Amino acid sequence: MIGEARTVRWTAVGVGVALGVVIPAFLSDFLRSLAADAAIAGLIVLSLVVLTGLVGQISFCQYSFAAIGAFTVGSLVAGHHWDFWLALLVGVCFAASVGVLVAIPALRLSGLFLAILTIGVALFFDRFLLAPGTWDSFSGGTSSWRAGRPSFFGIGLKGEYAFYLFVFGALVLACLLVWNLRTGKTGRVLRAVRESEVAASTVGLNLTAWKLTAFGISAALAGLAGGLAAVRVGSVSAGSYGLLQSLLIAAIATVVGVGAIASAAAGGIFLVFIPEIIHHTPLSTQWFPLITGAALIFQLVYAPEGAVVDAETRIMRRFRRSTPEVPGEDSEVTERVLVRSS
Amino acid sequence: MVLAGVSLLPGFTVIGIVLGGIYALAAIGLVLIYRVSGVLNFAHGAVAMFSTFVAYQVSVKSGAPGWIGLIAAIAVGIGIGFVIERFTMRPLTGKPALTKVVITIGWLLVLQTAAGLIWGANAYHRPVKLVSKAGFRLIGTSVVVGYDQLTTVIVAVVLALGTAAVLRYTTLGASMRAVADDPESARLWGISVNRVTAASWMVGSAMAAIAGVLITPLINFDTFSLTVVVIDAFTAALIGRLTSLPYAVVGAALLGLAQTYPRAFFSTSGVSEAVTFALLLIALAVLFRPGARKLRIA
Repeated sequence: MIGEARTVRWTAVGVGVALGVVIPAFLSDFLRSLAADAAIAGLIVLSLVVLTGLVGQISFCQYSFAAIGAFTVGSLVAGHHWDFWLALLVGVCFAASVGVLVAIPALRLSGLFLAILTIGVALFFDRFLLAPGTWDSFSGGTSSWRAGRPSFFGIGLKGEYAFYLFVFGALVLACLLVWNLRTGKTGRVLRAVRESEVAASTVGLNLTAWKLTAFGISAALAGLAGGLAAVRVGSVSAGSYGLLQSLLIAAIATVVGVGAIASAAAGGIFLVFIPEIIHHTPLSTQWFPLITGAALIFQLVYAPEGAVVDAETRIMRRFRRSTPEVPGEDSEVTERVLVRSS
Repeated sequence: MVLAGVSLLPGFTVIGIVLGGIYALAAIGLVLIYRVSGVLNFAHGAVAMFSTFVAYQVSVKSGAPGWIGLIAAIAVGIGIGFVIERFTMRPLTGKPALTKVVITIGWLLVLQTAAGLIWGANAYHRPVKLVSKAGFRLIGTSVVVGYDQLTTVIVAVVLALGTAAVLRYTTLGASMRAVADDPESARLWGISVNRVTAASWMVGSAMAAIAGVLITPLINFDTFSLTVVVIDAFTAALIGRLTSLPYAVVGAALLGLAQTYPRAFFSTSGVSEAVTFALLLIALAVLFRPGARKLRIA
């Protein structure tokens, strides 16, 4: 039965990837650019899957990590004429190190206080670090950095479809990486840390190092998303990396559920295409955060596990009815995380 | 430059104390809600913001006197506090605190967006006028204190002392302290935990509304800048370990001064935020280290 479940899972992944490649081929360039945005947002949701789903830590400053990636790419490419790929690498590493830095005070804080800390970090970025006059050679001051599309091993990424495929490939690779983390040794360790820190430390796990690693990986993924967003839009300005964006993506991640890697795709699509749908209704797209907030409240009061996790559980259960739930698998993750961090 | 800055300090002290008084009000509401219901209310600033914009609508745009605007704001604050508690917190009794905290983030998004849709994303600078801006010269100095500033500080101090007195000397206050300490035992003693929790949300949100209206003369306010006052309130409340009202007030005064003084020396707008963040980090690192001493609410 478990083998069957695994086949189903990989078939679903294969079909999902194939659809992700094929569908945009038939769309307009505008929708392709939105699809690229969705893949980038998916990377940020994925960074929350790592942090919240795997280790049980919460963060309301993922867009600040993304800002590091974006502004590193922007300032190095536009200001110092660096090669994009080198700038992206530097940006991801920089974001990862800031993530580790934020994790140091977070090591001693439980869930509630981590929420305050990360909101503080987001505001610090918003209103100090990226504000004009503080560090203009990084933030670009009052103007925004302009960065053109790079080429990938000789293939130009100027076309919307080519660029989309590139970003989508990055998202799929990142998902595979996180999947690997989750099923491999690292995943077992992180799960142990999430379930019981005391128990994990008695079997000789170095909690500090693992938590720092998780924050580093999460921030690196967000930084990667930021670097890609910089060339997707072509310009980098502080307005797109504020506290409200971080709160919104955290809300979306909670609505779709942080327990499943598939949430990354679902979250990205949610963030980019729901406003597009709202645009075609009498409401303006400005309603989007309100709708997301209301969905978040409604879902936590009535369906606390998250929509995608819920659906996945239901599908997997159909193929796995005779086998007992594997502890720590997707289904109960959100609930467990919430219980553990309280 | 430095000398010019120093000569500004006495005047900035007044501004800092006024700002501190407002943060104290917001922090008291936050601590009250946290202690009684166990929820860190991230929507506290958003409640303040929404109520303040109602006051703005009533008294600046429609021309009603300032105090009517204030009353409208308090009523709206109490209403929002009630709705949040009754419909999104009470059904989750017994659920993890973190779930409830994430719900307050949802409320933050809802209130913030709703205010943006109603009043736009503009910055407003016409404050809700409660008291004349005229003032008096502080004896022996060149510092002018506005009557509005004086009123703000007096209101903050009176409400802080009032809350402490209510908590200490009234039945409602005793029930609140009982629920804060141990909801189960409180229930056994016949206290209606639901009602006390609802009261704390309503009173706390009313304080947020008052703080929001009082802050309007001090800043160019927009929907976002008022919403993030919650982080200032948190910083003040954290200095009181999220428990002690007197320490929260001291923390608020400290924060108000620490945010104001650097403006005499630096022109960069973000310096106050950097100071806030530093204080927040220190408070979290020092006061919430494992095994830190516990405080009492009042």
